[in-house]
Amino acid sequence: MEKDRFIELLKETLEIDESIQLNENTVLTEIEEYDSLSTLGIIALIDEHFGKKLSGEDLQNITTVKSLMEMIGEDQFK
Amino acid sequence: MKINSSDFSESRNSVSLKGKTVVVTGASSGIGMVCSVFASKAGANVVLIGRDNARLKEALNALNGGNHHIVSQDITEYDKLESIIAESVNKRGKISGFVHCAGIELTLPLKNMNPDSYNKLFSVNVIAGFELARIIAKKKYIHENGAGFVFISSTMGVTGQAGLVGYCASKGAVISGCRAMAIELAGKNIRVNTIVAGHVKNTKMSDELFNRLPESAVEKIEEMHPLGLGDPEDIANAAIFLLSDSAKWITGAAIPVDGGYTAE
Repeated sequence: MEKDRFIELLKETLEIDESIQLNENTVLTEIEEYDSLSTLGIIALIDEHFGKKLSGEDLQNITTVKSLMEMIGEDQFK
Repeated sequence: MKINSSDFSESRNSVSLKGKTVVVTGASSGIGMVCSVFASKAGANVVLIGRDNARLKEALNALNGGNHHIVSQDITEYDKLESIIAESVNKRGKISGFVHCAGIELTLPLKNMNPDSYNKLFSVNVIAGFELARIIAKKKYIHENGAGFVFISSTMGVTGQAGLVGYCASKGAVISGCRAMAIELAGKNIRVNTIVAGHVKNTKMSDELFNRLPESAVEKIEEMHPLGLGDPEDIANAAIFLLSDSAKWITGAAIPVDGGYTAE
């Protein structure tokens, strides 16, 4: 998947305002919309698009968007 | 009123399923498997329905002696259900009990839900169970003395939690549908009850849910059960009672077996 497309999907899942920029270096845990419920949405998003099942514990180790992409697998992104 | 001990026959005050044929869905694991084992211990011939044939065979080995029967079938293939019941009746006799344990859980925020997610939840948790009840209740399949139907619902059918809109809706539908079913089938002496189950640990569903949730959310679930989380045996004991003649005056009830979850 294109990195930009993934970031778009992430913004949709977290319902982040269009005007707010999200990039690989954004710290997810500092985003207001990133809470325990939205992490379930991210788990579902990753399962649907990458066929990878992450756990709640996996998500607790996530800091930036880049660290999330690394957890999914860097080879999954163009 | 004078009371004599002879007024209390064994059949009226013991939890026995002796000689009864009982159909259990979701029998290859968790609550369904334990219900099957307990039904066999209470003397029933059990028809175990599940998707995983290997696990059904394992469950069958755990059952007490008797004339049991396994059926490997996805119960959302609705057009196959009548032939399963017809074959079971042919092999094990008319049906006196039905326990719908098969169920799926989905924890997703409302914004991530879609028609497919709702359909999946309702197809297993509600429609398959109601379809089996419709078929089993036919005169040609149901025992002449009537029967007990038990549906495993959830505390989520009577309360709400974030991320569980679809699951709560499906479990609520089970409770309300069973009330209507109880009224409709009372004339056939079929009793229909639901168990409002709290969170039961050591099941595939529980393990999968706890794996997805952060530790803080798991701790919160535990704290909401004053007696702690349940075991499959806690639900199975209630199900066997509701199937038995000891519950002959109970129908249309939604009985909490939840470690106190709904008492708060």
